[in-house]
Amino acid sequence: MSGTFFLDDQEIPFREGQTVLEAALAAGRFIPHLCWRPELEPHSSCRLCTVLISGRPFSACTQPAMKGQRVVCDTPQLKDLRKAVTQMLFVEGNHFCPACERSGSCRLQAAAYHLGMQDSHFPHQFPVRERDSSHPEVNLDRDRCIRCELCVRASRQLDGKNVFGIHGRGVTSRLEVNAPSGLLRDTAIAAEDQAVAFCPTGALTVKRRGFELPIGERRFDRSDLATEVLEAFAAKEARHG
Amino acid sequence: MLRPAPVPLQDFLEARLAEHHRSPHALLQILVAVQHAFHWIPPEAVEALARELKLPRVRVQGLVSFYAFLSDEPQGDFVVHFSDNITDQMQGCRDLAARLCARLGSELGQTRADGLASVHLCSCTGMCDQGPAALVNYLPVTRLSPERVDRMADLILARVPLEDWPPEFFRVESQLRRSDVVFREPLEPGSGIRGSLERGGEILPEWEEDLAPGDARRHHLERGGAETLKELYRSELRGRGGAGFKAAIKWESVRDGKSGGRFVLCNADEGEPGTFKDRFLLTEHADTVFEGMTVCGHAVGSKRGILYLRQEYQYLREHLEDVLRRRRDASLLGRNILGSGLDFDIEIHLGAGAYICGMESAMIKSIEGRRGIPRRRWPLPVHQGLFRRPTVVNNVETFACAAVISARGGAWFAHSGTPQSTGTKLFCVSGDCQRPGIYEYPWGISLREVLRDSGALDAQALQVGGPSGLLLGPEDYGRSLCFEDVPSVGTIMVFGPQRDLFDSAMNFARFFRHESCGLCTPCRVGTTLLANYVRKFERRCGSPVDLEEIRRIGEIMRTMAHCGLGQTAPAHLTESIRKFPEVWSSRMRTSEFVPAFDLDWALEEARSLTGRTDPEAHLAGVEVP
Ligand SMILES: Cc1cc2nc3c(=O)[nH]c(=O)nc-3n(C[C@H](O)[C@H](O)[C@H](O)COP(=O)(O)O)c2cc1C
Ligand code: SF4
Ligand code: SF4
Repeated sequence: MSGTFFLDDQEIPFREGQTVLEAALAAGRFIPHLCWRPELEPHSSCRLCTVLISGRPFSACTQPAMKGQRVVCDTPQLKDLRKAVTQMLFVEGNHFCPACERSGSCRLQAAAYHLGMQDSHFPHQFPVRERDSSHPEVNLDRDRCIRCELCVRASRQLDGKNVFGIHGRGVTSRLEVNAPSGLLRDTAIAAEDQAVAFCPTGALTVKRRGFELPIGERRFDRSDLATEVLEAFAAKEARHG
Repeated sequence: MLRPAPVPLQDFLEARLAEHHRSPHALLQILVAVQHAFHWIPPEAVEALARELKLPRVRVQGLVSFYAFLSDEPQGDFVVHFSDNITDQMQGCRDLAARLCARLGSELGQTRADGLASVHLCSCTGMCDQGPAALVNYLPVTRLSPERVDRMADLILARVPLEDWPPEFFRVESQLRRSDVVFREPLEPGSGIRGSLERGGEILPEWEEDLAPGDARRHHLERGGAETLKELYRSELRGRGGAGFKAAIKWESVRDGKSGGRFVLCNADEGEPGTFKDRFLLTEHADTVFEGMTVCGHAVGSKRGILYLRQEYQYLREHLEDVLRRRRDASLLGRNILGSGLDFDIEIHLGAGAYICGMESAMIKSIEGRRGIPRRRWPLPVHQGLFRRPTVVNNVETFACAAVISARGGAWFAHSGTPQSTGTKLFCVSGDCQRPGIYEYPWGISLREVLRDSGALDAQALQVGGPSGLLLGPEDYGRSLCFEDVPSVGTIMVFGPQRDLFDSAMNFARFFRHESCGLCTPCRVGTTLLANYVRKFERRCGSPVDLEEIRRIGEIMRTMAHCGLGQTAPAHLTESIRKFPEVWSSRMRTSEFVPAFDLDWALEEARSLTGRTDPEAHLAGVEVP
């Protein structure tokens, strides 16, 4: 099935098999998201892309586009809820942006700017999480992990390695690595892995690359998250037709 | 000292692996067996299973750490889990757990240094009508009292094996207090499936002439299944697991499914605290439940049924396996059922302690041997369910009703109940009432009548449908139990006039924080924030601003959470604040704002490390509890 649907007041064409999010991005409309990347299976965990269809909430990253469907996306209420969910992500971890190498190229931070987040609103949880600096090239700082599982999926689907997995459940769930020692050093991870490149925050970073680009000149210092994502998506579509 | 192993771990694993044909999907079932035998999952087991099942180790560990009854640390020879539902709590389970710990010289949540015993709290074990209850080495012990706990302590200290404990400790009563037309008489085994087969009509001579013999029979089976589906439509049976979806619509989608290898899953997770009707059905009407699954198999064209049994009910497994065996011997299950050409069999899968696994797509993942995380919404299980095959998922009670419908007819069934809620319903009444237990009523019965029958007319409030359901007060007692008015899985927890409703708020907030699967942000973080806010009121430091925050977080979760757990988790709190404001106002320090960060509270860790309990260890002006 292909055809068009309405995203707020805009008519959006879609191809067979596309989700609401894919069709929207292809038409140049941004819907905020953190745990989705076009190369990977959708996960619908961050919930930022929540939209309303017939008054009911759905995640745009998993909702198949359907002919004539009316999708409500950019209402003040939904924008406010997206901002609140982003605030939840901030207070759940320990995000000291000024001290983070990813600052300026971090998608979590960029989403916060995009959504007009001025403060973290909710009480900070200050969780105690272990850092893993055992690997010579890759650093894992769990304080900054938002459990989007992009690394889990990328390592499995793109790197063919299965380096990561989630342990525990609920708020105590955490990212773990595939090694008897539980340390990154004893896994098959490499600095070039897609798993590292896909991490939206400063949780996974490559060592000794600190400040190659000065703060102020980084991706999201120069442009908004929406612009970046739409450009990247268009470039990818152009490559793959 | 570790538990003396029944057999060496490697031999044990090899036997389990062989039994399950080394299928990676059997991972959870094997881990449950290891836990029962060794009381933990040793690292060597993780290692061996990862190797033998060709799974990343991180996945095996991910599973162990997800399920509450699997442990990656050695547990004692005696593992005790006290059920910590609000009904158990009202009957003093916390004191009893503390009493046992004191007698054993151990700490709650830990294993005694010599490895003798571990004592834990756990989510509701489904024994609320005969609580407080606990699981000892994964077997239920009911009707706990200080005397019974002391006796347990003696038995544990004397290392008496469970087989030699007084059998009455393990007695689980069905406590059927009222029955009605559907479950009054046990269904004659086979009558449901016979009804379904007979609907195919006679195998007509002209079919035999026109078609090959096998085809005539197949045609007959087809027709019977189609007619049974019509019968189910006529009954208007709605799912008994909570959502009330029409069973016939689900069955038809699977019947019309393009791919074969279809599955029939019976949801016996019964995780909603305060619910124990499926326990009753599996005990007293197991035949009827299996009969319903078989009828479903016939109607939708499936050969395989799976009963997903919650860990807390694994004591029923032997009984259920017996019933299955008997049914196979009577040709009611297995190949060529009653000579009709119909093949259908049922196996039992165990859960391992996770409320979320009652949610159908999480249950599917659990049966596939994975962490019980809900799948994305599409595709639906009826299209791509277990192993991506079209799959019916129904509650235990739904299947039992379906069997009765097949035997007695849809119109007969639809005769009782209300227009949109046909038939009868099993209700589980527990808490402050004189006669806790199971009550069967036609849908549409008023709450007041249930309260009268169960001896609870003085109730201050009711929690209907479990913690995810509705909090109702006396002004609601005239309302009726049915999908048109007060829908529910059948759970009614009664809070008497003497209760502080704050306790249920705290209990439920902790429950949801503990049971959130952790996939999505609003639920993972929201349940934690909510529990922290309620905790603030527990310390009597609440403020009106906090109530506003609870309401707002509730709104965020209702719209933004991925599944029913996160969407319903805030309901009890927001309703409690709306309907019983004095419960909250009495726990406020001021009528203005109190910061979440409390300096005196922040010193608590230092106090406990230094063992200080004296007033001097608190900030000036702080009331010491
Ligand atoms: C968090 C959560 C827990 C659930 N637990 C159960 C359960 O224990 N038993 C059950 O039958 N349904 C449970 N459900 C509902 C199932 O997802 C599903 O709707 C039901 O099994 C379908 O059967 P029915 O149509 O016969 O009711 C749960 C749903 C959610 C969201
Ligand atoms: S490490 Fe990065 S990519 Fe992996 S789950 Fe955490 S935030 Fe997501
Ligand atoms: S709402 Fe809660 S239980 Fe459901 S997917 Fe999200 S985190 Fe998991």
